[in-house]
Amino acid sequence: MAGAGGGGNDVQWCFSQVKGAIDDDVAEADIISTVEFNHSGELLATGDKGGRVVIFQQELESKNQPQCRGEYNVYSTFQSHEPEFDYLKSLEIEEKINKIRWLPQKNAAQFLLSTNDKTIKLWKISERDKRPEGYNLKEEDGRYRDPTTVTTLRVPVFHPMDLMVEASPRRVFANAHTYHINSISVNSDCETYLSADDLRINLWNLEITDRSFNIVDIKPANMEELTEVITAAEFHPNQCNTFVYSSSKGTIRLCDMRASALCDQHSKLFEEPEDPSNRSFFSEIISSISDVKFSHSGRYMMTRDYLTVKIWDLNMESRPVETYQVHEYLRSKLCSLYENDCIFDKFECCWNGNDSVVMTGSYNNFFRMFDRGYRQDVTLEASRESSKPRSVLKPRKVCTGGKRKKDEISVDSLDFNKKILHTAWHPQDNIIAVATTNNLYIFQDRLTSIQ
Amino acid sequence: MGQRDIVSYETSVRRKSRIRTASTMCRVDVECAVKGPEQHGNAIPSSRYMVGRGVKRKLSDCEDQMLDLPYPQQRQLVLDLCLDKLQSCQRRAEPSLHRSVLLANTLRQIQREMRQEGGPHPESSPPAPATPRHSPDLPPVPSDRPSTPVAALSSSLLCDDAQSTCTELPKGPGSEDGGKSPDLMFGSFEITNSTSYLTDLQLDDIFEDIDTSMYDPSDFSVLACPPPRGSSGASLGNDYNLKAFSTCTTSSSTLQMCLNDLDHIMEILVRS
Repeated sequence: MAGAGGGGNDVQWCFSQVKGAIDDDVAEADIISTVEFNHSGELLATGDKGGRVVIFQQELESKNQPQCRGEYNVYSTFQSHEPEFDYLKSLEIEEKINKIRWLPQKNAAQFLLSTNDKTIKLWKISERDKRPEGYNLKEEDGRYRDPTTVTTLRVPVFHPMDLMVEASPRRVFANAHTYHINSISVNSDCETYLSADDLRINLWNLEITDRSFNIVDIKPANMEELTEVITAAEFHPNQCNTFVYSSSKGTIRLCDMRASALCDQHSKLFEEPEDPSNRSFFSEIISSISDVKFSHSGRYMMTRDYLTVKIWDLNMESRPVETYQVHEYLRSKLCSLYENDCIFDKFECCWNGNDSVVMTGSYNNFFRMFDRGYRQDVTLEASRESSKPRSVLKPRKVCTGGKRKKDEISVDSLDFNKKILHTAWHPQDNIIAVATTNNLYIFQDRLTSIQ
Repeated sequence: MGQRDIVSYETSVRRKSRIRTASTMCRVDVECAVKGPEQHGNAIPSSRYMVGRGVKRKLSDCEDQMLDLPYPQQRQLVLDLCLDKLQSCQRRAEPSLHRSVLLANTLRQIQREMRQEGGPHPESSPPAPATPRHSPDLPPVPSDRPSTPVAALSSSLLCDDAQSTCTELPKGPGSEDGGKSPDLMFGSFEITNSTSYLTDLQLDDIFEDIDTSMYDPSDFSVLACPPPRGSSGASLGNDYNLKAFSTCTTSSSTLQMCLNDLDHIMEILVRS
């Protein structure tokens, strides 16, 4: 069965791995809150509600199984953030990791930024596979020897040891956000990054933790006049002076930092006029943008609102160039979804490596892919049932009305507790990571064997 | 460390609280609250939803039935939900400014509509209300009366009420109602006018645990003075106006005030 995929309409997605607890009893701390591949795709990081970061590393392809790309195995686990208590406001600050962003690799070590609601941290992940032995002044266990007992000298020698992966916090960027941080984005200059909360965006230098520059501030003088918040922000992948931020009213603003120090005036405003026939009480809520991502090329950007994914050409502000319906069948259910709060769910979206396919999550552990070139889309499911190694995923279909065909699922049977909010696509290959509530699924395309 | 898959993170879990199901029941549904969360299965919660007083419907049929309702009743349904969510916003452990703003905007939109219609007349109003979707893109200054999520409860409905005794605000833009602008903003709420309502009201089940004796208006003078607008540079938190949105202050007085507004609104709605 064909599925949407990069480079053709014949990509078949297969189950590769699943990480996390098997039982249905979900511990709240295990809920995955962010997923991100690094720039080479070799490392895959996840953050969870308990403030932990788990990094998986792809194994090198084995010669015995050329059909399989390497599996991802745990590389490092560390506690990134701890819960804090704000005594001034009598509020607990959650340790949940909102976002992880990798820095491009400069040397042997890997660096990533992880953030919770208030504090961003720069972590260094380094390997150690050798240790020096044969000190003159120290015993093997570390105790110092009495210098008078030293009669000969030797040069310490490096011996191999079991690989140890260490994660150490190198910078802590704190106290710059009054509101909850929703985004971080590393600049293409690799020296600065931005962090965005509900009302402000700050620019940091990666080396300097005690100072940040405020570059966007939409807080009104009178808080009672507040009608719009910032929902996501990202730097342009190539132009280090350009960034965008999205709002709860469905607008995206592109800003140029060369224009002024404070970028409250946008350079471009992307907004689609509302379709009056679709107007409802919930129009504004469902127009709130939950994620914005530039394409790898930098020519396009993608936004996700509650029901759709939109692709915008940066040269055209008046409307998106492509709109994909993720789960249009929910439009008639908005009242129920408003009541059970699902309408406030924030779905993310991602591009594949060559910007030909986009992916986003939905309910019932479904996720959707849209092939921009072939104009095809597919719905797949991340479930334990379809988790046999290398089994091909079967496309799913939601029955929207009338007679339900075999293998279709009706809208009322969807499980709204099983939502896929976070997905990530390998930067080069057709490998995707899909996070259900507490499990991480890894799917790969089935490589055709090379003759 | 090491290269092995971790099957379970159980050992390193710090807090093992039960996951709060996404299908948290609507607080208006008292019956649901009694039953607890376990009745929510996999589907859209089939909890029954109360509309007005004593009317129950299955939620799974809610959509179809809601769309069959006359428009004003649909609107009333959404208004009830909105009020309820805004109230629960205060109590949440993780208050979300984003959510509060969306709720407040929805509420404001409904009230604007109701005000345009001049009261709760179930006339044939256009199904697509012609409210502008976006304010002009400035620092947000809505064309109508600005209101907090809670003040919004009382604004338009109260100003239509000839018996409103709420004071007019000394500051703030004029409202399109002209005349009385009884907006109950946090800053200038007059306790003396509203306390009479407290004793007159027959409190609903939901509010019966409210202790109104600890009402302290002094908190609001703090909220009335907005701090100077943040300059560029490191922005540190020290923001009292923030209380309105992003805190779930456990201060009983703020909660009191919100609930007092709600009481008042309920009273008006029941009478009308």
